[in-house]
Amino acid sequence: MTTEDAVILRGIVKRFGSLVAVDGVDLTLAKGEIHALCGENGAGKSTLANIASGVLAPTEGTVVAHGTVGLVHQHFELVDRLRVWENVVLGREPRRGLRLDADAARDRVRALATTYALDVDPDAVVETLPVGIAQRVEILRELAREPAALVLDEPTAVLAPKEIDALFATLRTLAARGTAVMVITHKLQEVISHTDRVTVMRAGKVVMRAATRDTSIDAIARAMVGGELPALAARAEVALRPSFTARGLHAGEGAHALHDASFEVAHGEIVGIAGVEGNGQSALTDAIAGVLAYSGELTLEGAPLRGNPAARIAAGVRVIPQDRQREALVLPWSIAENVALGDQGRAPLRHGLTIDRSARDALATSIVKRFDVRAASIRASVGSLSGGNQQKVVVGRALAHLPALLVAYQPTRGIDVGAATLVQSQLIEARNAGAAVLLISFELDEVLALADRVLVLYRGAIAGEFSRAGFDRARIGALMAGAA
Amino acid sequence: MSGRSGAIFAAVLLAIAAGAMAIAGANPIAGFGALLHGALGGERQLSETLVQTTALLFPSLAVAFAFRAGLFNIGAEGQLIVGGLFAGLAGASFVAPGIVAIPVILAAGALGGGLWGAVAGTLRARFGGSEVIATLMLNIIAALVANYLVVGPLHAAGVAGPETAPLPVSSWLPVLLPGTRLTIALLLALALAAGLSFVFARTVFGYELRAAGDAPAAAERAGIDLRRTALVAMTLSGAIAGLGGATLVAGVLHRFNVALSPGYGFIAIAVALVGGLDPLRIVLAAFAFGILQSGSLTMQALAHVPKDVVAFIEGLAIVGLSARRFAGSRGDGH
Repeated sequence: MTTEDAVILRGIVKRFGSLVAVDGVDLTLAKGEIHALCGENGAGKSTLANIASGVLAPTEGTVVAHGTVGLVHQHFELVDRLRVWENVVLGREPRRGLRLDADAARDRVRALATTYALDVDPDAVVETLPVGIAQRVEILRELAREPAALVLDEPTAVLAPKEIDALFATLRTLAARGTAVMVITHKLQEVISHTDRVTVMRAGKVVMRAATRDTSIDAIARAMVGGELPALAARAEVALRPSFTARGLHAGEGAHALHDASFEVAHGEIVGIAGVEGNGQSALTDAIAGVLAYSGELTLEGAPLRGNPAARIAAGVRVIPQDRQREALVLPWSIAENVALGDQGRAPLRHGLTIDRSARDALATSIVKRFDVRAASIRASVGSLSGGNQQKVVVGRALAHLPALLVAYQPTRGIDVGAATLVQSQLIEARNAGAAVLLISFELDEVLALADRVLVLYRGAIAGEFSRAGFDRARIGALMAGAA
Repeated sequence: MSGRSGAIFAAVLLAIAAGAMAIAGANPIAGFGALLHGALGGERQLSETLVQTTALLFPSLAVAFAFRAGLFNIGAEGQLIVGGLFAGLAGASFVAPGIVAIPVILAAGALGGGLWGAVAGTLRARFGGSEVIATLMLNIIAALVANYLVVGPLHAAGVAGPETAPLPVSSWLPVLLPGTRLTIALLLALALAAGLSFVFARTVFGYELRAAGDAPAAAERAGIDLRRTALVAMTLSGAIAGLGGATLVAGVLHRFNVALSPGYGFIAIAVALVGGLDPLRIVLAAFAFGILQSGSLTMQALAHVPKDVVAFIEGLAIVGLSARRFAGSRGDGH
């Protein structure tokens, strides 16, 4: 180990039962560098991060670390009800006798925040903080242990473009002070803009190593997928007809509520909602789905859209919810049982008091075929499928018959590039076939790639509207972060 | 529960049972032998075991029914008692040929249990109240109210104990084996198990019930009314338990007595969980627990093992399986 290396992983193998998550990986994190670790879902990135930071023990191989390795999780591991300083010192509280020395703890947090220019009020309660600030708390907590290396797992997934720049400025400061930094991300633009070195994993193995300045987004993407990227479906010229309208829609409570939203989605149009997570997207989706109380008026095909979710489904609304495993699927059930969900109460699946199993199986078979669901059979439990294939089941069920309105909330979250492209293509195909599509995504690139029109949602209100010809990435990004 | 962890759990319980017998000063092998002999040793023993199996089967199916809908109904005992009380009052006051009276008595039991279940179901559906706490408390209320009624306002003239007037013989459930207490209640319970199995596997109603239990957020978005499902499931669960109470009244005691159930509604929780909430496997589980119930007296008499050892083991099984149920969704990650 040279003095320049903070962490050296040699021949790392990690097995979970018969699954080989990491398959013989060598990786060195050098002091002063920001290292990007890229790869599709399930490539083994998070497992490797857990091994580097000592959370998991490798099945084979050695980890040599020049000090501790901090890990900032994708889903924050903070105690929401506690204050910032309480979270930072948790587990290593300064004491005076038997009592917690709150003043010393506060001072320590304040000093850390100053050193790394991480502006945060030590006395704020974590649950009141926006995600970008909560992430600073998580980083501060790791920095309090003075790690030799800091690993961040998908740190930008919940941040607005401006916050992302601020995060990388912080990481650059850290690196300059001699900490090795590794960022796990699938946002390749960030890799190119902010990192020094990039390692790409696929199926548990390293398939590419490069200095960032010597490579490109395309080269990294090809390495991640292991070939050329599938092309997105072409957009057809479609005559727009009015379909869905929202008038003065208020929904939800508190910081994540939706305020006075009015907009339309036409047949043959994808309207994209751009915005950072927590700006009213869930309230919007849930109000349309009929699972959240709201005021204001919704119409579909000129008729009022109201009633419970069953009435919405009957009226032609299909929703692809954000959390497929909780809100869309019954994981222990088979694919065949899952495709009936939502249509169990009407023909052709309902036959008197019973479910027509042959009609259900035929539907499942057609969805598996048309949407390329990779599964042993329609009897396989959806819980046993990969995230991408689970999502294909959800999307296939929503599009088995063309809906009047399709609401797709984060439809490609956490799935691999191949599956994501297939899902995105299906949204375009649905639009081409005449569905009204409302796409709600935290990934600005996805919104810009798919939408005919973009609405920016900030603090629950529509802050701007752009048509496809007039997309202005910088302006949309600024509105997402609250620019007037 | 997977086969392997189930086997380990059963082995641990057996070991604890053997230990408890030894501590009580008895020979565990003689204890188990007496238990099995007392439960299966002859026609009389076997019929008594089947009587216990039947008594356990109704509340176990009731518990499973609610569990499948995601509701932890620990109130089968109370629902069984209220059902038994309704059946006892109907049976003592309504005199008609058996072909008419018996269905009325059974219906009265289902009605009573259903009403009692509906109380908890309403609290859950309307106010979001925990059905666990509601059913637990309703058990106590049921027992005390039933006790008050049969020694107080509804006390029949000429009856000594805390019980209703006896049912006319014509209203007794027909006996399957002459000279035993085994009645057609067993066939009713088996038919109910088969019926529920069909409901879960094939019907739209059963599908919606299971969806609400297995993935409530997904079920709600699929147009399934979770409040209505909770109310209907608790009501029907209570009705099944109440029907069980009615079969005890019309088939075993021939009157309602406050000592109608030695805790069938509680043991039922363990039976339902051991049976994996599957009606047909619950039949087997109820038979296994029926063996424990009916063999324990013989074990006490012959091997000098207190029959409380059985209650002790059943209690451990309930605690262990309930904990597993609540912790089940966690720890499955990789």
